[in-house]
Amino acid sequence: MHVCCGLTAHLELAQRRDLYGTPVVVGHWDDHVVAASEEAAAFGVVPGMALRQAEHLCPQATFVPPDPESAVRLRELIASALYDLAPVVEVRAEGVAWLDLGGVPSISGSVREARRRLRAATGREPRLGLASGPFTARLAASQARPGRLLRVDDARSFLSPLPSRVLSLDEEQMERLDLLGLRTLGAVAAIGPRELESQLGHDGRRAVLLARGLEPDQLEPWRPPLFTSAHRQFEPAVEDREALLFVARALCDDLAAELGLRGAGAKHVRVRLLFEAGDPEARDSVVRHPLSSTAELFGLVGSWIKDWRPSAPITELWIELPVLEGAGRRQLRLWAGGDGNSDEVVAALERLQERHGDDVVIRPKSALVSSALPSPALRERVRVRA
Amino acid sequence: MQAEALRLDDAIEAIRVRFGSQALTRAAELPPPPAWPSKTPLDRLTGIGGLPRGRLSLLTGGGTCGKLTLGLALLAGATREFAHAVVIDPARGFDPWTLLPFDPELGALTVVRPPAPDAAGEAAAALARAGAGFILLMGEVPEPWLGPMESGANRSGSVVVGVVESPGRAFAHASSLSLGFLRTGWVWDRGQLVGLRTVARCSKNRVAPPIGEAELEIRYPIGAAMPLRPSTR
Repeated sequence: MHVCCGLTAHLELAQRRDLYGTPVVVGHWDDHVVAASEEAAAFGVVPGMALRQAEHLCPQATFVPPDPESAVRLRELIASALYDLAPVVEVRAEGVAWLDLGGVPSISGSVREARRRLRAATGREPRLGLASGPFTARLAASQARPGRLLRVDDARSFLSPLPSRVLSLDEEQMERLDLLGLRTLGAVAAIGPRELESQLGHDGRRAVLLARGLEPDQLEPWRPPLFTSAHRQFEPAVEDREALLFVARALCDDLAAELGLRGAGAKHVRVRLLFEAGDPEARDSVVRHPLSSTAELFGLVGSWIKDWRPSAPITELWIELPVLEGAGRRQLRLWAGGDGNSDEVVAALERLQERHGDDVVIRPKSALVSSALPSPALRERVRVRA
Repeated sequence: MQAEALRLDDAIEAIRVRFGSQALTRAAELPPPPAWPSKTPLDRLTGIGGLPRGRLSLLTGGGTCGKLTLGLALLAGATREFAHAVVIDPARGFDPWTLLPFDPELGALTVVRPPAPDAAGEAAAALARAGAGFILLMGEVPEPWLGPMESGANRSGSVVVGVVESPGRAFAHASSLSLGFLRTGWVWDRGQLVGLRTVARCSKNRVAPPIGEAELEIRYPIGAAMPLRPSTR
């Protein structure tokens, strides 16, 4: 297992790039601190403390209210940017991104690209760590210089000298660890999991496994949203069907490119037309086999538009794919050469029947089991010219 | 002539020096696409021992020149070797009964009768992409669908054969192999017409250096045939 961790600023801070380099504290008044910049942290401000206390510690800091919606949008943006670099990606709002690079042929290439994309998304050089699991990788990243990668080959010896407070335990548990004299991860790793479990409960067992570099935690894979759409506004309104078809094809191109990146297919297609006057009109269809290419999408959407009789000039065209499905079955075709995938051919024939009616596809069958038939004679006299 | 050949060699060498050794390659040096041995005389004309997989091959010529008979022979052979052999028949001129004398495996045969030329293109592109083993086009595919059909066939390795009298520019351009047929005479046996003689000429070959032409004697299969009933899936 190779997990790469990229540490950036908290995503609440990453939205205020203009304040980079100055002490910034994010939090609601009369509430706790959500995030603090490195400059504010130098004054002792840490997430979770009361905002009044933070103001007392660092009065020169800029205090900004949190914007969780924007942070979630940025998180989604980062996750989708990293999605094609590793099979499993997890991004957290506190500015941590993990990539499970197990099975990736060029780990260095993925790490380099992840660094570039994180820098583009947050505006700062990320710190990078590469280790056997997410816990060690995050600690390695926290010790790396900005823009640099710290690779850990022997997790246990790397973790051993680190203080035990890096374990995510509550205050009471930390106090008990201190009383037991377990102040470094090396000391925690030296005792048995059951012994610490008897002291701290389940968290104690987990702490020992983490300290030994055994990585009991798994990443929570980010999944792309299963909905997408594309639209175009017309100014002035359009009446020409050819123009509408042209735009629809371009939108289908965009959607197909996005589906290709996600490795997904559309199970449901909807087209909406908005008019200068009157109610919008829509057509939709659930397709049995996911559509993923421009030809497939435009084949359906284009046929609707060709038949459509709009009631007024069109001001907006929407193509929505409300239900997406992973196209894993299509990927299996990469292993099958030539005539290998019968399912795909049957699916293509069924799609044709869905579009043009059952009579489009005919499978002739013989009424009799056998019959004596003369074999065709093809005799050749080949004369090859130079 | 000698001087021209030398100048041509110099030009080729200059292009290779400037743009790299792969910028210009002789057809003879190109790796041929995998071939599907059709076990018909056409295999000798393609130069690769069979019809090219993933490419469009055309059988062209005027009426009663033998191109459809050869197309049917190819189709029947394909039904015995592939899981799916598909006929795309926009003009609804294909009669499965005519295939019977060639001893096809009917379980593998599917006939698609698209209602419009665009639908024919859509069907050809979709089936080529899906990996149907053999696709027989009984007419032209509209130009916008040629690209998707070619790329789909190229990826899946489908053998695509078109039977047309006179292909349009786009259709001819999209083909990798074009064989023109010209009837030279009839074959009579005891007063009965039993076949024809035709010349098959390779007019275009992008998969191997072109091989001239071949004379074929096509004997019509004559005899009893089993009745058919079309069934819709």
